[in-house]
Amino acid sequence: MQELALLMESGCGDARDEEFVRLVKLAKAGDAAAFEAIMRLYERRVLLTALRLLNRNLEDAKDAAQQIFLRLHRSLGQLDENRHFASWLYRITVNVCRDMLRARARRSVVSLEEAGAGLVVAAADDTVRNEQRRMIYEALATLPERERTAVVLRDLEGFTTSEAARIMGCSEVTVRSQISNARLKIRKFVQRRQRRPL
Amino acid sequence: MSCANMSCAKFESLIALYVESDLAERERRLVEAHLERCHGCREFAADIRESQTALKELRMDFVEESALQEVRAEVLFHLSTPRKTAAWPKYAMAAMLLAGLWAGWLWRTRTAVLPEVQPRAAMIAPPPLVAVSAQRGHTARVLKHQRQPAPTFQSEPLVVKMITDDPQVVIYWLVSQNGG
Repeated sequence: MQELALLMESGCGDARDEEFVRLVKLAKAGDAAAFEAIMRLYERRVLLTALRLLNRNLEDAKDAAQQIFLRLHRSLGQLDENRHFASWLYRITVNVCRDMLRARARRSVVSLEEAGAGLVVAAADDTVRNEQRRMIYEALATLPERERTAVVLRDLEGFTTSEAARIMGCSEVTVRSQISNARLKIRKFVQRRQRRPL
Repeated sequence: MSCANMSCAKFESLIALYVESDLAERERRLVEAHLERCHGCREFAADIRESQTALKELRMDFVEESALQEVRAEVLFHLSTPRKTAAWPKYAMAAMLLAGLWAGWLWRTRTAVLPEVQPRAAMIAPPPLVAVSAQRGHTARVLKHQRQPAPTFQSEPLVVKMITDDPQVVIYWLVSQNGG
């Protein structure tokens, strides 16, 4: 597991990494330890992305993360080792979260306050920054699902617009438009909040 | 698309991409040229940069280790236990198998009861296969496919052939059609 620790430290784990390719091959051959190693590499990013896409609902995000890794395990056989693994995993993540959002929309609406607020721990113990964080999460929650996904992938996960388009299964022009709309709406939301009297 | 033809409102969506370097070279130059001239759009770009900085603060978030452990444990548990399949296909298969066996048994019993009329050929007069028009002096023609009317056996006895385990022993059972 020393190799795994090194991989985690480097924060990599894509198809270009030899050790990671070896892990994927082993996992495809049914090696449970190799699959667990892959899961450990990506679980944090997957859970955080699910949290952002599911409006900070930790329980839903945990359910989503489970489904994502189970789906990943089922479809490992279809994975081309030369493909970018992260894009492939994020595609599963986006699809699972979208399905969950639709199912939740049919069930009921959960407010941001009750949906696991405070479970995502801020890095700094700074109340102003925490308040700002909360405001941005609220702004994200007001966005349509596709715009939120686009901006999360681009601005929080650091994918390029073409990678985000591939993950979302649409054209780059569409994704750029969604990202632009999302940024404009977030700016508007932030300005409205800052002007609001305390 | 030239700068002169575009209003500031139209530049907003481009500026939202410009602040994160998401524009192609030509569009980037267009926006920069506009920003040089337009104070309002420069302020707008500054606002967007500010909200983007706030948005990117979320990159620093982390989740508690216990949540990760919970997810990992659940996934590994699901993978280690054999997947439960729905029971109904098994029952459906069993029902189909039983139905097949029953149909087979029914077919066998029906065919065993039905009488096999062995000496029928002997009782029927052979059909005239050859018609000869000797009177006119024509060559004889063979009428092979001439259909004959089905014979009736109202008064004929039925013969049931019963085959035993011993191939040397075959029992013939003559049954009167009048119920005798």
